[in-house]
Amino acid sequence: MTIAAVAVRRMLRGRALWVGAIIATLPIGYAALTAAKAESGQAGAAKVFAFVQLMLAVLPALFVASSIGEDIEDRTITYLWSRPIPRWSVLVGKLIATVPVIWLLSIASWCLAILAGGQEPTAESCLALLLGGTALSIIAAAIATLAPRYAMALTVVYMLFFDLPLGVMPAAIRYLSITHHDRTIADLAANAEDSPTSAAIGVIVIGAVWAVIALWRIRRVEA
Amino acid sequence: MSIVVADRCSKWYGQVLGVSDVSWKLGGGVIGLLGPNGAGKSTLIKLMAGLIRPSRGSLTVFDKHPFDDTSVRRRIGYAPEHEKTWDELTALELVTVMANLAGAASPKAAAETALAQVGMSSAAHRRVRGFSKGMRQRTKLATAIAHDPDLLLLDEPLTGVDPIARVEIVDRIRALAVAGKTIVVSSHVLYEIEALTSEIVVIHRGQVLAEGNVYEIRKLIDRYPHRIRVECDRPRVLAAALAEAEHVARIEIQRTGLLIETREPDRCYDQLAEITLAKELVISALASPDNNLGAVFEYLTSERRS
Repeated sequence: MTIAAVAVRRMLRGRALWVGAIIATLPIGYAALTAAKAESGQAGAAKVFAFVQLMLAVLPALFVASSIGEDIEDRTITYLWSRPIPRWSVLVGKLIATVPVIWLLSIASWCLAILAGGQEPTAESCLALLLGGTALSIIAAAIATLAPRYAMALTVVYMLFFDLPLGVMPAAIRYLSITHHDRTIADLAANAEDSPTSAAIGVIVIGAVWAVIALWRIRRVEA
Repeated sequence: MSIVVADRCSKWYGQVLGVSDVSWKLGGGVIGLLGPNGAGKSTLIKLMAGLIRPSRGSLTVFDKHPFDDTSVRRRIGYAPEHEKTWDELTALELVTVMANLAGAASPKAAAETALAQVGMSSAAHRRVRGFSKGMRQRTKLATAIAHDPDLLLLDEPLTGVDPIARVEIVDRIRALAVAGKTIVVSSHVLYEIEALTSEIVVIHRGQVLAEGNVYEIRKLIDRYPHRIRVECDRPRVLAAALAEAEHVARIEIQRTGLLIETREPDRCYDQLAEITLAKELVISALASPDNNLGAVFEYLTSERRS
């Protein structure tokens, strides 16, 4: 918890939180504009959710990947690794500090955006963002341990050029996409072939695989 | 009992050699790791701190492998070479966090004590972001000593610090040694190490080249002809005046000055001053190309080979 507490303190004193908050307002503006243009006066929930997912591609990079990547790259992580603590505790501590912020920003953004679009958020959609945000944060952490220097950029690239495109593919390969499962859990998928339960399991499995990669890698990183 | 035991310990970073086949035992006291940049000092310290693991051989601290056995790190205090810390935190917050993670009973009290010991009490509530290099070095030292470790690993603790901070840090390290701590301190500058201890380990190209008393190393270094480069308006006049001196081994006249090789640097510097005044020469630059350990170590290794 000490690592989490210090990560929160650093986040509160840094710029990332403000940048994240500004990014989180974008879906609200998008939903309000779409609703204003629509004849029904409502923004399409699926489109607003897709925009929030786009934002969710950036937040883990901004908070998780940069936090872990910078510590490894700047070698400030040596302060932690020279203490009598296991290495995995650094990852867990950082995730405990950053994931709730990602939850808060994405769910608040979604709720306000969908309200601005003339509709109401569902519990399923909020649960989808909780699960998706967690899994994407774990992926960001793993990428940061694999390529600390380019952690933030690679995380955004992964989200925008791998996960999001994969999620709209018709074949079974889309099951590798967090965003696809998220839409299913939120009941906002274009075709309702899969159950929300299987989608939730899909998110958990993908997150677990990346967690294993992150934990394996963090044991081997040398500062 | 040996505190650190390295047994044929080697470390490579891909194709780059860190340390090679080092067998060494550290019993206690203050030990200076001396070597030019890239010699392997930081690698050896990181191995002792448990930050990296040997590629081959073994290295134990208090009979445990510090990379795998986290518990032994409670007894180790490490101050890294690099300057970066968590700049968003105040010095007190930073040292408190480190003391807490190291298992100190009262982390904040321990941090306050450590900061007071390194003369940083007045800046304890200031953020590290605005600190000078000397203040950062002292803060790093505080993070290393806050949990009262038995073994202190200080990687280049005097690099870049101003003379006043240097004296304070040296005094603090000496006080810790008097208190019974085992301290390993690295530097590439001989006189920095001499100020702290007489026991040194000379490292070059990843290998322990020599260990023992610093005065023995000093004698070897003094045997090595010292080069002085002088830039002046009339190099030939200066060369003629120096040519007869016994201590001068060779003089090379260059375009803007001359390069002198001497066996007695102090005497040569005195004579240079005398000639400059007597002949009314204008000296624009005076430098010693040998004022680095790299050249001396090359000389020592070549002497050992021959």
